[in-house]
Amino acid sequence: MVSSVTIKITNKVGLHLRPAALFVQTASKFSSNIKIKNISRNTGFRNAKSSLELMTLGVSYGHEIEIEATGSDEKEAITALKELVENNFNE
Amino acid sequence: MVGLVLISHSRKITDGIKELVEQMVADKVKVVSAGGLDESTLGTSVEGILNGINSVYDESGVLLLVDLGSAVLSAKEAIEFLDESKQNNVVISNAPLVEGSFIAAIEASTGKTLVEVNNAAEGTKELNKLG
Repeated sequence: MVSSVTIKITNKVGLHLRPAALFVQTASKFSSNIKIKNISRNTGFRNAKSSLELMTLGVSYGHEIEIEATGSDEKEAITALKELVENNFNE
Repeated sequence: MVGLVLISHSRKITDGIKELVEQMVADKVKVVSAGGLDESTLGTSVEGILNGINSVYDESGVLLLVDLGSAVLSAKEAIEFLDESKQNNVVISNAPLVEGSFIAAIEASTGKTLVEVNNAAEGTKELNKLG
């Protein structure tokens, strides 16, 4: 099975600096394969557990991203990452 | 967890990187600013680097992030002064100092191995910043 979510980035700096660190740290807590792509920039999927790959997506304020997870804890992973983004990375 | 030692000819540079990294990953990573001959003199210090390595060392290993020239030479010399048991567990990264430290800190905070952290840091050389 695959779980996924499409969500808009509403924090000021986007997926950079502390938000990027929190995103990778949160994704890394799950055993599922987790991928992310930047819909607004029409990128391909990248590994959500890799900070380096995340940087190549250039996710900024207002961009729409898609997160996709596959594995035994895919639903929990998607829920956790969705909440992180929706809460503006607890800024 | 992999520790990081930042080495530049200027302490202000490594202090600044440390500030940035700690803002990103809070206290989840052990980072030492070991730039400069001392806090106000440009240069590099083998003793300062050696103390830095020992202060963050655990069995996960330590990654040294350097700028150029004598920063690399001093880092190599500091490794030679380490206990033999630690020497194979300390690596000098070929990554750009700022970008590499940034990525290394995030990767280390997720519990990755020394090799994985260094590979990610060195991967910043290929990163197209302009997208």
